[in-house]
Amino acid sequence: MSWSRAKKRSLALGLAFLAPNILGFLSFTLFPLVFSLILAFTNWDLRLHNIFRQETLRFAGFENFSRLLTERDFWKYLGNTAFLMMGIPFGIAGSLITAILLSRDLRGGSRRIWVYLVAVVLLVLGTGALLLAGAGATGMTILIAGLVGLILMGGTLGGSTVYRTLFYLPHFTAGVATFILWKKLYNPHTGPINNALRPLLQSFGSVIQATPPGVLRGIAWACLVGMAMLVLTALRRLSRAWRDGEAGRLSVVLGGALLLAPAALATRWAPWSEGGLALAGAAGAMTVLALAAAIVRKREFRCRHDEGLGFALMFCGVLMIAQFALLGLSRVAAALPAMAANPDGMTPPEWITSYYWAKPAIMIMGFWGAIGSNNMLLYLAGLSNVPQDLYEAASIDGASPMQRFWNVTWPQLAPVTFFIVVMSVIGGLQGGFEMARTMTQGGPAGATTTLSYFVYTQGFETGRLGYASGIAWTLFLLVFLVTLFNWKFGNKYVND
Amino acid sequence: MKYVFVFCALALVAAGTLTKLTEPDARSPVPVVYWATDPNPARIEQIRLFHEWLVKNGYTTPEGKPAIELRLDTVNFDSSKLIVQGVSGVAADIWDRGVPDLENYSLLADITEDARRLGFDTSHTYPALADLLSVDGKQYGFPCNVYVVNFWGNADTFAKYKMKPPPRSWDIETFERIGKEFVGKANPPGKRRTVFFTSAANATLLRVLARSEGLDQFNETLTKCTLDDERFARSLAMGYKWTYEDHILPSAADESSFATQAGYGGTHLSLFQQGNYGMIAIGRYMLIRLRDFASPPRLFLSHLPYVEFENTFVGTRAAGIYAGSSRKKESAWFLAFLASKEYNDNIVADADSLPPDPAATTTEAFRHPPEHPNEWGTHEAAARAAQTIAIVESRSPFIEPSSVGRIVNVRIQEVMTGRATPAQAAKDTAERINEEIQRTLAESPSLRARYEELAALQEKIDQYRREGKKVPLDWIKNPFYRRYYVHKGWAQEN
Repeated sequence: MSWSRAKKRSLALGLAFLAPNILGFLSFTLFPLVFSLILAFTNWDLRLHNIFRQETLRFAGFENFSRLLTERDFWKYLGNTAFLMMGIPFGIAGSLITAILLSRDLRGGSRRIWVYLVAVVLLVLGTGALLLAGAGATGMTILIAGLVGLILMGGTLGGSTVYRTLFYLPHFTAGVATFILWKKLYNPHTGPINNALRPLLQSFGSVIQATPPGVLRGIAWACLVGMAMLVLTALRRLSRAWRDGEAGRLSVVLGGALLLAPAALATRWAPWSEGGLALAGAAGAMTVLALAAAIVRKREFRCRHDEGLGFALMFCGVLMIAQFALLGLSRVAAALPAMAANPDGMTPPEWITSYYWAKPAIMIMGFWGAIGSNNMLLYLAGLSNVPQDLYEAASIDGASPMQRFWNVTWPQLAPVTFFIVVMSVIGGLQGGFEMARTMTQGGPAGATTTLSYFVYTQGFETGRLGYASGIAWTLFLLVFLVTLFNWKFGNKYVND
Repeated sequence: MKYVFVFCALALVAAGTLTKLTEPDARSPVPVVYWATDPNPARIEQIRLFHEWLVKNGYTTPEGKPAIELRLDTVNFDSSKLIVQGVSGVAADIWDRGVPDLENYSLLADITEDARRLGFDTSHTYPALADLLSVDGKQYGFPCNVYVVNFWGNADTFAKYKMKPPPRSWDIETFERIGKEFVGKANPPGKRRTVFFTSAANATLLRVLARSEGLDQFNETLTKCTLDDERFARSLAMGYKWTYEDHILPSAADESSFATQAGYGGTHLSLFQQGNYGMIAIGRYMLIRLRDFASPPRLFLSHLPYVEFENTFVGTRAAGIYAGSSRKKESAWFLAFLASKEYNDNIVADADSLPPDPAATTTEAFRHPPEHPNEWGTHEAAARAAQTIAIVESRSPFIEPSSVGRIVNVRIQEVMTGRATPAQAAKDTAERINEEIQRTLAESPSLRARYEELAALQEKIDQYRREGKKVPLDWIKNPFYRRYYVHKGWAQEN
């Protein structure tokens, strides 16, 4: 093929235009990427291999990876990362609810403006009452009340645009600034969160002391029974899916394992006396028996082993998180009498300075960031694309608002939800560095050290670049596998 | 479009040229030497004095101007930044971070010969610092200042609660008794505690307590961590008791609840000045910021409490020369300046810890600064502590000090959060540090021979100790045990 002069010139010009971008990509993205992959298979250590000391660089094969898998801290930090990722479904739900609320016309109409005005007046009166009650020192509380009033007024005048901007604010505010702000909010003794919680907990403590211990034990047990009910419900659903050929053997077994996880972990967290082990045993036996029964039962439809894997893991994963929440509630209910009997009364959590509260504190902060993030914008865009005819048809059929949501909105938003889940999972696996670095330094006692922070400490505190690259590529592999899984099994349901 | 492209390309070339022309080096008629240091306002005056010193000592241009220009680089003072820049060949000429830590990376130039020639060898400073300035007999740094950790107390706070300042030297029982009395008087019952005897139980305090029972973090030859010992467990337990039972030290939650902002010297200083802490464990450099307060308190100085062997940590912000610097010769002039009277007088006056030259602490200007009578009595006590009870932190060549710090701190946090018992934490600390040592040896075969030689020496030391024989002092590489063995009469001095 001969190239005309004009064509060559055109090609050169095109390449010249592209060159800055391509060169930038090659130098600052592709080269470091490939280089770090090579590093991961070497013993590159800044102490031994730098421009002043050139000890022999050794090809380490999979040494860095095998060491990682036997390192006790790695599993702890992977657990921390997974724990923090349990906040993802809540964040997604929050951003969806926010988007639905913000997709409505919130400008003050003739009636609505009065509602807002009444709310603002109540707020002002409430603030006045706080001041009169001697809460003058809690300036932050008053400031927050004032801000809420301003937001309501702003929303009345500007409609949803004001709220959308405000909700999106966390996303375009610098991360470190928001982390410092949250650090102040979480201040155990002087932070506004605990200042608000303290009087509530004091009153609650009195109520708890007056409550017969049997009631609290009953609540604790009710939560555990709730867990068992969730397991049963999930097993029924799994069993049906198995029978109808919607879930294969692998899907049922892995789903069952997820369902069993909270009960298994309960044995570590709850002593015998609180029934944790008994519950775990019962739930475990139930799961195993149900799975065994499901697998041996004659099926009406046959399918592949991994059929419905996405559904099984997603469904059982969400129920697993719900079980954890119930388990936590049960533990709190069981511990309430002892907490209320404390001479100082019931005290609010110490948040990021407490080993047990540091992770939930970071999850709450992540939830706050997630509801107003790009996810909210994506849902807003998705909502605007839902054909109105579907809603009209549903209304004509007499569907309630909730039915309209489940049968119209939710299925129509499936592609957006899928995309959000994929991106959130990737972000969750890679995240946690800035928060750990700014708020907790990975502490207390490693409670908030995530894999990304671990990469940093290994690379820049000990100088083991080969090992740090190994961790980073393991993290990549994890992200890749999870994403692959999401695409393979999640995408199908979106397209269905 | 192509014109836009050409325009952009030309604009980039022009911007690049402009950047090159306006580089600091290009704007100085003399070579520029960069000093990576902390953002302390005192550095400005120190640079001015250095330029004067250059002229006075004949390091000048033909026109009689200073032969070099020293400039600050405070942005790149962070250790990890320095290391990454250093191994990449683009770091500042002079660094004042830990010499042994950086020498692990071979990033510092050997200045032994320059130090001898220009008069700043280790004999010009505190003998206790030798291990922090030299590695394997080669000198790599000279102190910018010297800090000794002591309790600096606020006498006004004690007077407010009708208490006398604690004694200069005290055992643990006395510390605990006075501490309980102090917090009992300072905090009304039934209310949140806002006044504490001293700042939180940190690794420094707990390790000093263990050392006061004769236990250091490494053995005599620095080949093994020895913290799996009831003496370390006891100090961890003591830290827990003082924090959560006696409440004489603040917990992490208490500390984070103080609405102060960090500044030079950290948040503790504000809390100390306003009476939330009766004392703080810190070096003399705290006076820099304390003097900025409108009414600085009257001060006293007490040593850290001890069980049997009184001790504390001494450290230095030592300046070294970057091995990749193109201005090593000129940078060495700065290190010579650090040993000069002008520089030492400046440190005496601005209280940036102790001056490098111990002789400068014997002057009246050091002991009784006329503008700061509230500090009288503390200066000579700090200087005396540096020469009597202060011992540097032991550092093993087989593990990164930052790794040791991280492991110890996490285990302390585990005890403080109730995640581990003191005994478990002590065991875990030693196990992890020793695992890390073995890992370093596996990764660095060049260290293996030295390690084995030292491990064999350790066996001999252990055997001598079992047999009750005196151990030759030059066998002991750990600076703490060199002093402790002499104190106990176990050493055979050469």
